[in-house]
Amino acid sequence: MTEVADPRPLAAVLVSALAMCLIIASYRYPNVRESWSVVAALAKFGIILSMLPGVMDGTVYEWSLADSLGVEFLAGIDFVLRADPLGLLFALLASFLWIFTSFYAAGYMRGLDEHAQTRFFASFAASLSTAIGIAFAGNLVTIFIFYELLSLVTYPLVAHNEDNEARIAGRKYLAYTFFGGGVFLLAGTVLVYWLTSSADPAGEAHLAFESGGIGMLAEAAQADPVFAQAAFYLLIAGFGVKAAVMPLHSWLADAMVAPTPVSGLLHAVAVVKSGAFGVARVILDVFGPGLIYDLPLSVPGVGEVGLNIPLAILAAFTLTAASIIALRKDHLKRRLAFSTTAQLSYIVLGLSMLHPLAILGALFHIPAHAFGKLTLFFCAGAVHVETHTDYVSEMAGIGKRMPLTMSAFAIGAAGMAGMPLIAGFVSKFYMLIGSGSVGGGYWLFATALIVSGILNIAYLWPVVYTAFFESEDRHDAKPLLEFPPGGKRESYFEDDAAVATDGGDRSDEKPESGQPQPADERDDETEAKGAGTPETVNDEDEPEYAVDKYPSDHTVPEDAETHDDHAEDHHDHGDHHHGGPPAGGWERHSPFTESTWLMIFPISVIATGAVTLGVIPDYAVFLDLAMYIVEGVFGVDSFNELHDLSLEEAMEVIDR
Amino acid sequence: MSSLAEMLPALLVAVPILLAAVPIVLGLRFERTGWSVAALTTTALTAATVYLAAAVYETGRVVHVLGGWGETADRPQGVGIELVADEFSVLIALLVTVTAAGVLAYTRVGGPRGNTFYTGYLLLIGGLLGLSLTGDVFNMFVFLEIVGLATYAMIAAGDGPESAVAALKYLILGTMGASLYLIGVGFLFMATGALNMDVLGEAIPLVAEEGGSDLTLLRAAFAFIFIGFALKVAQWPLHTWQPDAYQHAPDGVTPVIAALVSTVSAYALGRIMYNVFGPEFLTATPYLTEIVVTVGCVSVLAGSTLAVIQRDVKRMFAYSSVAQFGLIVAAYGLVTQTAFVGAVIHLIGHGVIKAGLFVAAGVVALGYGARTVDGYAGLAEHRPYTAGSIAILLIALIGIPPSAGFIGKWYVAVGAVEAEVWPVAVVIFLSTMLTLAYSARLLEKMYFTPAIPVESPHSPGPVAADGGTDTGADDHDGATALGRDSFRRGSPDAVSIGMLGILVVIAVAAVLLGFAGGAFFEWLEPFTSEVFTE
Repeated sequence: MTEVADPRPLAAVLVSALAMCLIIASYRYPNVRESWSVVAALAKFGIILSMLPGVMDGTVYEWSLADSLGVEFLAGIDFVLRADPLGLLFALLASFLWIFTSFYAAGYMRGLDEHAQTRFFASFAASLSTAIGIAFAGNLVTIFIFYELLSLVTYPLVAHNEDNEARIAGRKYLAYTFFGGGVFLLAGTVLVYWLTSSADPAGEAHLAFESGGIGMLAEAAQADPVFAQAAFYLLIAGFGVKAAVMPLHSWLADAMVAPTPVSGLLHAVAVVKSGAFGVARVILDVFGPGLIYDLPLSVPGVGEVGLNIPLAILAAFTLTAASIIALRKDHLKRRLAFSTTAQLSYIVLGLSMLHPLAILGALFHIPAHAFGKLTLFFCAGAVHVETHTDYVSEMAGIGKRMPLTMSAFAIGAAGMAGMPLIAGFVSKFYMLIGSGSVGGGYWLFATALIVSGILNIAYLWPVVYTAFFESEDRHDAKPLLEFPPGGKRESYFEDDAAVATDGGDRSDEKPESGQPQPADERDDETEAKGAGTPETVNDEDEPEYAVDKYPSDHTVPEDAETHDDHAEDHHDHGDHHHGGPPAGGWERHSPFTESTWLMIFPISVIATGAVTLGVIPDYAVFLDLAMYIVEGVFGVDSFNELHDLSLEEAMEVIDR
Repeated sequence: MSSLAEMLPALLVAVPILLAAVPIVLGLRFERTGWSVAALTTTALTAATVYLAAAVYETGRVVHVLGGWGETADRPQGVGIELVADEFSVLIALLVTVTAAGVLAYTRVGGPRGNTFYTGYLLLIGGLLGLSLTGDVFNMFVFLEIVGLATYAMIAAGDGPESAVAALKYLILGTMGASLYLIGVGFLFMATGALNMDVLGEAIPLVAEEGGSDLTLLRAAFAFIFIGFALKVAQWPLHTWQPDAYQHAPDGVTPVIAALVSTVSAYALGRIMYNVFGPEFLTATPYLTEIVVTVGCVSVLAGSTLAVIQRDVKRMFAYSSVAQFGLIVAAYGLVTQTAFVGAVIHLIGHGVIKAGLFVAAGVVALGYGARTVDGYAGLAEHRPYTAGSIAILLIALIGIPPSAGFIGKWYVAVGAVEAEVWPVAVVIFLSTMLTLAYSARLLEKMYFTPAIPVESPHSPGPVAADGGTDTGADDHDGATALGRDSFRRGSPDAVSIGMLGILVVIAVAAVLLGFAGGAFFEWLEPFTSEVFTE
């Protein structure tokens, strides 16, 4: 592996930071502003893509503050950005998906005529900048810096709505992510600094990532196993917060108050994956599978277990429990959020099983889940923009209204469940083989994977079913959602009527406002108003603060009453637009007229991507890259050498 | 060069004190000369300090023996007055002069005005520089008093009875702190017969080795000195003067006091602990480090908690200072090289950040008419530059990298882990969350709470309910001003370019300092390695 000094990793980080400034500067011209996002996304992807061939040939591109400017960031610690295979995997994914998300975000924000769009797009660009920073960070301190900054710049996106619910979600978000970053991750980093600098004869700290684990840390761990273990769990807890591993997951569902492009790209790809990516860094490049395996934890009553086992158990629990919780979520985005929680734990579980095949599956699951989940969120967002429908129970028959969107949703859902021919299958396949190769107690993890796959079908298929195979006036009750556990004798139809009355004033206008509006018409409107300026004058049919601003206003009590019979999460999310079919039922639309091209185009591309990754993973870069990473970690020349090894044998390979 | 450099420490102290008389004298003839005199003086002082720093960088310590008295062939005899510029003191002197010059950009338009104010200002700067540069523990008391007296005058310059009360409170408590310190110095002199820091630094280990009643004197001396400084630095539970002083001092004065007065006192504490008593004495005395560390940690917790529940922004920042200085005192108590560097960096970083935040509080009060946390609602929309700067400074205060707040915290945390004092390490790591608690409150108000609600029939309601509490008057400002922007919302024109400029500059500096972690460490290396290898 040759290291080359190259400014491209820095350029990849800075290009969207620059875009952020340009976005803020051109706040008066929405079209110019949105084009900066697109330009930056393309440039970023181009820069990262240009490094791909070199990285696949064993080159590592590195930019360091000390070498280029002579500034030492902290005593003995350099600020380094380096493009190694693992970093490139994440960076490539995030930057590729950003291109389409920037189109989608423009369509979404304009479709809803959202306020503070400049802040939104600026924060979005900044988030991407920091996410790429996390991908390319070359040592623990650098990754900590970007991890903290990522928490910071995504906060405006979570609190975007500026209502009480959003503010509370924002507080929760800040509290969780800074507890993870500022407390756990910093503590873990300091411990590693201390351990390595006291083990090193020259007293120098070793914080730079090394494929297969930091050598000096392994030495230090022999002397001080307890502190090394503490450091491991602190680091994992720090990244685990963003990866939503179970005791630390509850911010994610609340963060769904953010606009859907945020939920899509950030809370299914960039932000949460940065947590999963961090876990991968810790396991593969800080401690290394070998050290983790060799550093047994003595648990009273059980005996010695590997350092990875508690983590794997936690992840297995998370992916099962989150799937079960998702079953009872009526709010589509929340259901998807719990699905994300579960899917992220697949990655953590795969990594913590330490077997090369499981690690490969976990690494490939990063893009596989990203494509699938982004499709699902994009669809949920498109439905929200076009019909203001957020609840699964109101989506009966929506397939007529949005055929293409719901078809894409079906593809994404199949991917989540790990159906063959979709991306999710490939990664889950490798993880299953991996856990099978280890054998022993690891069968438990294989079972969890399979059970969770079934649960995935159980909570995503009903959405597809109700969209295509039910109609708005004739559909079955959803016992899991509407009835208290244990069952209740009641039909859905009374509730439905209530919804219709309540939403009556809106639904009357639905055909009009539900019509797709030509993109350019929308543009003129926002442009005239100047989207960055406060919009004190509102559309007549949509008073801005109708519900959320003044809870004492007429709508709320009725609102709460109506939703009483729905699933409980209506309450905590009860202040949004009223959805459901308009009075005359859904209008039938062709796939080309169901929404604006700004939304249809990204949805189709991402869904196609999910299928591509599932059908020809070998040709779609990511699997190659993942294999290459695993080869590097285990120090072999070809992945084939690792195929039939048991866990012990694999660990011997790494020790060689 | 060396002769000029050797003169500079004395000039740095004498010039501002002498020039303090100039505004009054000129005031007999001209009305507004104070600001110009102060501006010229502080600029010259800044330049001189930079020159001195360069000299220290090249040749190491620069010592000025006042009047040449007390100088023997090879070493000072112990009671002559010395001014010492080494890496540590020059750093603080730089902070003092640069901040003093910078804040003048605010006071030119923002007030307080008047020649006598600038007399006090220059006296304060002279005292602070003296406190930073002195090499003599008795002289330190003198400068503590000069600083104290000037501070009382400046706080009392605010209009309204609250300022007078706050100044009186500080007068009483501050004098008590200085007196306690003086008692400690007396004990030191009894035990060693010297007042010069260098001489004391050599004598104390010998006395400590001998043991007996002199050792008891030393310990008593340390106790008095520590408590005296705990008062001056505003450590819980001796902090009570500080919130009042900060809140009721004029807006133009608070940045100077908050950034410099406690900072330089904390510097003096560090100087006494490490140069006079020395790490060996600190670790050898039973329960000493434990007590120092506990005082610091409790201050972190108590200060942050109290900050969270404040409604007045300046008061909130004041309690935040209690917490941040707690971090510094705790770092002193760890007695490791890394933690000490962390404490020094945090002194500087916190000084810069707090100066910025208090300037911002003044700018907002002037240009937006808001003094309470609630009143800051919608600030981002109406005053984007001010709000942006406040946001950056708060983020720096939380310690999110890259920022001045982070590098200090990093070294303190590494020091705590190196010393293996786990409770302190836990408090330091948690301090991020504690700082976040009150910072996020303000961030959320500024950015995610709209200022002007649409016509609401309920608006008198909350105000009336709030009126029950003391801060009703303040609230009145914040809450009912909504909607009548131009009328109640202060006047944007009152904010000069200079004010906004200095705010933005400080915010940028707070971020740029975040890249100087290595540089600070290197700069302090000669000093720390000497202290910690003795």
